[in-house]
Amino acid sequence: MTTALASRTVAPHEAADTPRRSPWPQIARLYLTELRLFAREPQSLVFVFGFPIITVLVLGGVFGTATDDSGFEFVNPQHFYTAAYYGVVLCAIATIMLPVHLAGYRERGVLRRFDTSGFPRWAVPASLMASGATFAVLGFAALTTTAALAFGLPAVESPVRMAAGLVLGTLAFVSLGVAIGSIMPTARAAQGLGLMMFFPMFLLAGGGPPPEALSGTMRSIADWLPLTHVIRATQEPWLGLGDGSDHLAIVTGVLVVSTAFWLWRTAHISRAV
Amino acid sequence: MTSTQTSSSSGPVLQCTGLTKTYGDHVAVDGLDLEVHRGEIFGILGANGAGKTTSVECAQGLRRPDRGSIRVLGLDPQADRTRLRGRVGSQLQQANLPDRLKVREAIRLFADSADQARRAMADWELDAIAGTPFAGLSGGQRQRLFLALALLNDPEIVFLDELTQGLDPSARSEVWALIEQVRDRGTTVVLVTHFMNEAEALCDRVAVMRHGRLIDLDTPAGLIDRHGDGVRMRFRPVAVDMGWLRQVPGVRSALVDRGEIEVSGRPPMIAHVGAELVARNQVPDDIRVWQPSLEDALVSLLAA
Repeated sequence: MTTALASRTVAPHEAADTPRRSPWPQIARLYLTELRLFAREPQSLVFVFGFPIITVLVLGGVFGTATDDSGFEFVNPQHFYTAAYYGVVLCAIATIMLPVHLAGYRERGVLRRFDTSGFPRWAVPASLMASGATFAVLGFAALTTTAALAFGLPAVESPVRMAAGLVLGTLAFVSLGVAIGSIMPTARAAQGLGLMMFFPMFLLAGGGPPPEALSGTMRSIADWLPLTHVIRATQEPWLGLGDGSDHLAIVTGVLVVSTAFWLWRTAHISRAV
Repeated sequence: MTSTQTSSSSGPVLQCTGLTKTYGDHVAVDGLDLEVHRGEIFGILGANGAGKTTSVECAQGLRRPDRGSIRVLGLDPQADRTRLRGRVGSQLQQANLPDRLKVREAIRLFADSADQARRAMADWELDAIAGTPFAGLSGGQRQRLFLALALLNDPEIVFLDELTQGLDPSARSEVWALIEQVRDRGTTVVLVTHFMNEAEALCDRVAVMRHGRLIDLDTPAGLIDRHGDGVRMRFRPVAVDMGWLRQVPGVRSALVDRGEIEVSGRPPMIAHVGAELVARNQVPDDIRVWQPSLEDALVSLLAA
């Protein structure tokens, strides 16, 4: 190695007077980097894109298009599941993709590196939220395209409320994913917890059997799952099953609590640990 | 090692006063006082658990001291994080990069501009591995990348914590050469290491820590002089009576050992003994001289 470094050109006192630099260009680069890294993670791609698309095609094929089934609230089951699976995309991001990524950063000391490189402490969670939201939008697009080609899309009964459900649901779940990742010590622990959360939530909250097929206890449990409310906040205004207001309020609560939690963790937990 | 490039007029670049950090009942750093001056390579030496890493983590704002104060470039590393950004470079222990992040992406992520990233890639000869993911780099390549990242924004002070750990001797000497170049361009280097030969080869001054306390601070030569066991000369006798050696200034002892004379004493003894041997026309042709290394000196200091 014959490395020869250029001499410093900044005089010490000149540098001392350097004004505060905006962190935004750095954060924008971090966001783009996170997008690239997520795109290189097979696990994220499988759970965010592969799993929802394959499962919605299977369930749509199984339950068909009849609109006389009270289990599907008298709407086309294929449309019922299509509207529900936007929530499943978000669930994969919140329980697997973001927590595993963030816990891996902590485990490997990547957070310490960002911290000593002058990134604001909120930069990593914020860029993960932004990249998680971007992947959610891409997942929605892939799901929409597949469902449109396979089943045809139902008309949206209340576009504004449905959009509110999708936007707030996305924000709430990417924030929840960062909050979970902020307390997981290792990527392996995050993956274990994530899988343990993902499958029961997906099955009980509206992505698995029709809600009427669930026992009373199962339905009571489902009422406490945030995914249930994210799905219903989108599904109800889209298919005309309700206005989704109650669910939207709960989703907003998830967003506020999750965001407050990771902000608190970020401010108080030493990166040196 | 080049001479110390201390500029007393510019004040300390790093100043710790009574720095104390505890974890539960364990006192990791106990009232540390030290100053690092602009332009020097300052070593922090000590066994594992001596408090070296905790001290530099406090200096980098990663840990909040329990007592005492710490100033980096005159600023508080906790309160003035934003102002210190770009003026402080760091290579921490156990601070990796994502496995799938490529070298060029890592440099671009941490650089202020695309032009700065291009220059760093060229300066540190990273172009050949630009597209290699972090997980695919060898130990030496990783350390080269870490050094490039630590120095990307032309910092005034850089902390290098166990930078050469895990490197083979060849890669280690390459990194040493790079560190000297870093100092030569005016960057103050704080080097945390437990390799004493590394500190001796590179550092202008060395702080020695044990159980969280500073137990000595000096140039490597000063530490060797104070804590080393002196110098030794050995040669075959060239005269029947060489008892006069015990009277030479600086000589502590002169003994016959395995058919050879071994003379021990303080370093100036070498010149005095040599001069006397010449003056008496008793010059042996097999003189060998041993000087203690920093490692010898610090083993003695740390064992005390």
